[in-house]
Amino acid sequence: MIFHKAKGIQIDGKKELCKKSPLVEYLNPDTVYIPLVRRSLKLEPQVKVGDLVKIGQVVAKFKTYASFITHASVSGEVKSIKKVWHSSGKMVDAIEIENDHKNTLDESIKERKNVNELTREELIDIMMDAGLTGLGGAGFPSYIKYQTKEKIDTVIINAVECEPYITCDYQFILKYPEKLLRGATYMMRAADADEVVIAYKAYNKKIEEELNQLSDQYPHVKLSPVKDIYPAGWEKYIVEQVTGKSYKSLPAEAGVIVNNSATAIVYADAVEKNIPLISRPISITGEGINDPKTFFAPIGTKVSELIEQCGGYVDGLDPMQANYIAGGPMTGRAIFIDDLVLDDTLGAVIIKPFVTWDYPECLGCGRCADVCPVYLTPTEIKKAFERKDVKLLGYLDANKCMQCGLCSYVCPSHVEISEAVGKGIDLLRKGAK
Amino acid sequence: MARFAGGKAPFLRLSDEKGKNTNTIMRDFMIALLPVVLFSWYKNGIQVYIDGNINFFEMLYPLFLILMGGFLSVVMEGIFFYITDKKNRNLNDILRKLSTSYAAIPGVILALLLPVYTPIWVLMFATFIATIVGKMLFGGFGHNIFNPALLGYAIVGFTLSGFITDAGGVLNGSEILVDTYAGATPLGIFAQFRNTGEAFSFAALVEPYGNLWDFFIGTIPGALGETSALAILIGGVWLVARKIIKWYTPVIYVGTVFVISWIIGMIAGDAGLWFPTYSILSGGVMFAAVFMITEPVTTPTNSLGKIVFALFLGVLTVLFRFVGNLPEGVGTSLILMNIFAIPIDTYSGIIRTKGFKKPGLSFISVLAGIFLIIAAYTIIASVNMYTAFLPIINIWQVI
Repeated sequence: MIFHKAKGIQIDGKKELCKKSPLVEYLNPDTVYIPLVRRSLKLEPQVKVGDLVKIGQVVAKFKTYASFITHASVSGEVKSIKKVWHSSGKMVDAIEIENDHKNTLDESIKERKNVNELTREELIDIMMDAGLTGLGGAGFPSYIKYQTKEKIDTVIINAVECEPYITCDYQFILKYPEKLLRGATYMMRAADADEVVIAYKAYNKKIEEELNQLSDQYPHVKLSPVKDIYPAGWEKYIVEQVTGKSYKSLPAEAGVIVNNSATAIVYADAVEKNIPLISRPISITGEGINDPKTFFAPIGTKVSELIEQCGGYVDGLDPMQANYIAGGPMTGRAIFIDDLVLDDTLGAVIIKPFVTWDYPECLGCGRCADVCPVYLTPTEIKKAFERKDVKLLGYLDANKCMQCGLCSYVCPSHVEISEAVGKGIDLLRKGAK
Repeated sequence: MARFAGGKAPFLRLSDEKGKNTNTIMRDFMIALLPVVLFSWYKNGIQVYIDGNINFFEMLYPLFLILMGGFLSVVMEGIFFYITDKKNRNLNDILRKLSTSYAAIPGVILALLLPVYTPIWVLMFATFIATIVGKMLFGGFGHNIFNPALLGYAIVGFTLSGFITDAGGVLNGSEILVDTYAGATPLGIFAQFRNTGEAFSFAALVEPYGNLWDFFIGTIPGALGETSALAILIGGVWLVARKIIKWYTPVIYVGTVFVISWIIGMIAGDAGLWFPTYSILSGGVMFAAVFMITEPVTTPTNSLGKIVFALFLGVLTVLFRFVGNLPEGVGTSLILMNIFAIPIDTYSGIIRTKGFKKPGLSFISVLAGIFLIIAAYTIIASVNMYTAFLPIINIWQVI
């Protein structure tokens, strides 16, 4: 807690790449592959090959948790269950559904009449039945946050999107500003909170304008611009900026629930029309894409189809000199084969050529320690990991690291330091057991 | 379907952009050394030539010596790479390794630490110690424990200083003709005073060399690079502006030397600010403050560690200067502190995250205790305080 000044740094956003064209709705792919995995838990398929499914029908669920469910995102015939590439970097089972383009809706999808009379429990049940997970990237089931015993004062809608390149939240909000405010209101009621705060980056004036126009009808919704730094979208940072409180492990300790803005928009549909989580926004961007765009697409869509919609890769792109990144460029994962399917946690696919040069050794400049948002000393954690010194790793609080990747980002010698810290955390957890 | 390259998050790296990586940092260090190099050439070469005391080729000698230091260490590292790596012996491989080894910087700094009339073979020996023993044998750039230039300088200072004195030593062609210099640097004079136990005064210490302004500009006798505080400050401001070094490391170091020297001066009976100012402007204090204690590899990494390091180094410098036998305290204290950079790094890392609690607390309290004891001892020993304390002790009947 000494000489702690840095709270992240400004990163060149490169968001204008994707901001040029508005959100594109791509709702009718020919085939979807619904992954049978949620947060690395395997789901049991509820349909057989040859079944006809409707939009919104439950196709898979987790054995013990009733809430981990997945719905069909198109109507049509189940063709097979086969392995596809998932954003976690592994191959997972997926239900292949061939779209019949009839868009038959499941019986459960209908307009809800008594929206304003729903109780807190009912609102949380809707969240559970919709299979709603955090669309920010962690994929944490939303209803668990609302089942807390703590008194919640504030619900924060996180529209900060601090990672570079990604604009899916931004464009999703601009498309459905009113749905965001309605979803935020329902979330406030589901948490029994007094107010709901929408946090966004201060330079996104368009969001501010759109939401201010509607602010008369939603007086309980407050807007809170945050600084343009990375990691401003980090839960702890937002809670501190908005409420001034800090907490240890869960925001509920400070009387706060944080939800992504895309989650709020999907939730508005779930409350009003009982539409479960079947589609999500995704940014296809990067220097390797001809015409970067943001899509609103059904879960299970092949990303390669979306890339075709963007005009494909730029000419002369050497795949071995480019990264295919699932997720943001700071925390995402490199995928080797461009055969990914869209799942609920995937907010962006970035194709980015990279350069290589002769990397020098770590020179000990200390920039990694200066930028660390949780005040760790990455170089020391790396050394302790190389010596396999579990005790020292504990002293250095390696497990506080939230893997934002800033230490590797600023390193002038291109040292893979956040990877070493990640390995240090693994070693610490293994050693602590 | 195409197969893409792998990689680790984050996929954005500042270092991939031009001008934001280690090569730039090292280039900026070289640029920061430029005013020092130019001033020392002016003072020891051009000015003396204008005075008519040396010929044209002797005028070029200081510059030649400095460049030779950089050149020799690059060549030596190249030879080292050639000998140690049997597989990659062609020129391109060696050049590639040299480009991430930054050999020239310790060489140039080493030359700047040496007197103007250092024979080339002594410089060669010093560069060998610096780059091969001090750097490459520890594992190359980034792995060395001691500042390579300093190690070379110290070994030469302990073993071959006689040859340098025979070859002409520290005074340049003009200075040798000035009677008042008495063949010594300001710190040399100071050491004579210290060893004989005479009281020092402004007239004895500063006046032979002009006034304190001359000390600041750097027209006093001394090693090639260390005399001019002005040129060093220009380099330091450049480094701070480029965010290569932290401003507080040099400031704390120089400040510590200043304050302790002031206290010593006060106890010795002269509270004038001239004495601490003289203390920081003579010898290598300024040079070390900007170019050596900020050298990233051999000093602590994080900000807290840097502050502790600078404080400690300041105390040790004064200790070695006022109590020890050698005239210069900077080099010895810095070599000693280079070793302590490793534990300071570890414990300041713990304190950064855990605060002043166990287990960092015990380390920091031991360090603070040693710090205070050394500081007190330095002050007492340097002014023979025990004689001043004796009457008091007698009154208390301790003895």
